[in-house]
Amino acid sequence: MIVGNLIGFKSLVEREIVRFASVFLQTIFPPLITSFLYIAVFGYTIGARIKEVQGTSYLEFIIPGLLMMYVIESAYQNTSSSLFISRWAGHIQEILVSPLSYFEMVLAFLIGGLVRSFVIVTGVYFVSLLFTPSPIEHPLVVLFMVLLVSLLFSSIGVIVALLAEEFEHLTICTTFVITPLVFFGGVFHSVQMLPAVLQTATAFNPIYYMVNGMRYGMLGTSDVPIVQSMSVVFCLFMILFSFTVFLFKTGFKLRK
Amino acid sequence: MDREIAIDIKSLTKFYGGFRALEDITFKVYEGDFFGFLGPNGAGKTTTINVLTGLANYQSGSVRVFGHDVTGDYRKARALIGLVPQEFNFDPFLTAEQILIYEAGYFGVRKREARRRADEWLNEFGLSSYRRLDFRKLSGGFKRRLLIARALMHRPKILILDEPTAGLDLELRYKLWDFFKEMNRNGVTLLLTTHYIEEAEKLCNCIGVIHEGRMRAVDEKDRLIERMSENVVDIQLNRQLAEVPQELTDYGVELVDGGSTIRMREREQVLSKLLKTIHAHGIEVLGVNVKKTTLEDVFFRLTKNDRGQSHRF
Repeated sequence: MIVGNLIGFKSLVEREIVRFASVFLQTIFPPLITSFLYIAVFGYTIGARIKEVQGTSYLEFIIPGLLMMYVIESAYQNTSSSLFISRWAGHIQEILVSPLSYFEMVLAFLIGGLVRSFVIVTGVYFVSLLFTPSPIEHPLVVLFMVLLVSLLFSSIGVIVALLAEEFEHLTICTTFVITPLVFFGGVFHSVQMLPAVLQTATAFNPIYYMVNGMRYGMLGTSDVPIVQSMSVVFCLFMILFSFTVFLFKTGFKLRK
Repeated sequence: MDREIAIDIKSLTKFYGGFRALEDITFKVYEGDFFGFLGPNGAGKTTTINVLTGLANYQSGSVRVFGHDVTGDYRKARALIGLVPQEFNFDPFLTAEQILIYEAGYFGVRKREARRRADEWLNEFGLSSYRRLDFRKLSGGFKRRLLIARALMHRPKILILDEPTAGLDLELRYKLWDFFKEMNRNGVTLLLTTHYIEEAEKLCNCIGVIHEGRMRAVDEKDRLIERMSENVVDIQLNRQLAEVPQELTDYGVELVDGGSTIRMREREQVLSKLLKTIHAHGIEVLGVNVKKTTLEDVFFRLTKNDRGQSHRF
């Protein structure tokens, strides 16, 4: 059985949800407001002056990328802050002394990130409907991308929270790694708009596959074949999830 | 009836980097014991507890809880232990009541039952009116009570108390002592670390003393005191002696108070024999004062460093 202590597992998932819900002004509202601003300024105002991209309006083109950007940010922020605070305040010990397996502990943390991502991405999608009727061509692809990318970046959040010694280490990863990769991953542009050298470099950016997978799911068009996008996301998730469970098992920065 | 071994630690060795925190620790705690685990600061008490509860890795040895290995069979081992840590380590996002309910949940207790138990412990510890409060708003005494309630939510067979009464006023300390004794009477095995030797003397039936990462002694409390006893006996005489009479030198006695008192450090039951010898020497005894060995005396003797001295600081 994958989850042996089902009640324990559900309790930890619930606590993770209660944690971010109890500070919803910091965790839920800001993405809704910034997404409104992104869509209004980039899509609605500037986008009106840009020709069609991949056969759709610029406003419609950027929405899948924006959704993926919020999936990535919210999943990462949820697990990184939750686990780091629990290490810092010491209440991680409540979980470490419990009969939850390491697999269950990690999965519960990741599902907390997944739920926050789903809440935010749903909210941002509704914000986008204020500007344009955003279609969803392939709902299962959208579901796959949101699910796997949430879990993938939740895993990264856990790993960074274990490596971090101070709060600022969490934001260093966002500022210097995640945000540049997101912006170069094709949220606001098609890779075909870039010079050849940058097109080659973009192929090494994993977020490029996530954004394009989401774009395929919503618009039916993409710079990358959907199978390639889904394979990259799936493989990365498996590697990072296994590594996260391994870190818990060995007690890296958790056990003295 | 043979009692089960609740905690079985064999040859446990643990390093922090190059520092050997625990060296070849071996002891057993039997089901129903109230085990006092004593030692000065930094002796290795909390490290041993951390290994038992899954908060620390170790390099060699074996650690079992009711037969379950704490590494290989960690889920079963952890389910049997309730830990009251030294530090307040609550989730700052939760209220006192939520802290108890989620803790029970991690140990597999269903929500409805967890709420019932939370009510029970909140009442027992006088926390009912603070149930919806963020723990940071509780006083030190209430936080300590909440730590104990949290450890009891899954009804553990072993309760580990890491300095549970540190910083508490006397009234609350005595109430907690009564509570712990009652838990023990109800069959819970307790392992207590404390710096209050009086606390261990009053509560525990077994004592283990650890110092500089090594076990110095493990035994039943009374037997340990008896084994380590060195009662000081002062025998007041009706006159002053210039030197210890030849017949008494075998007893290892000394003269104090200007020769009017004979002092003996009694290791065996030789007092009556000594008194007879004094009487036979024609000296009248005015009084006998015996200072019994306490657990504190034993503790200090066992925790002297290898040069035979206690550290200045």
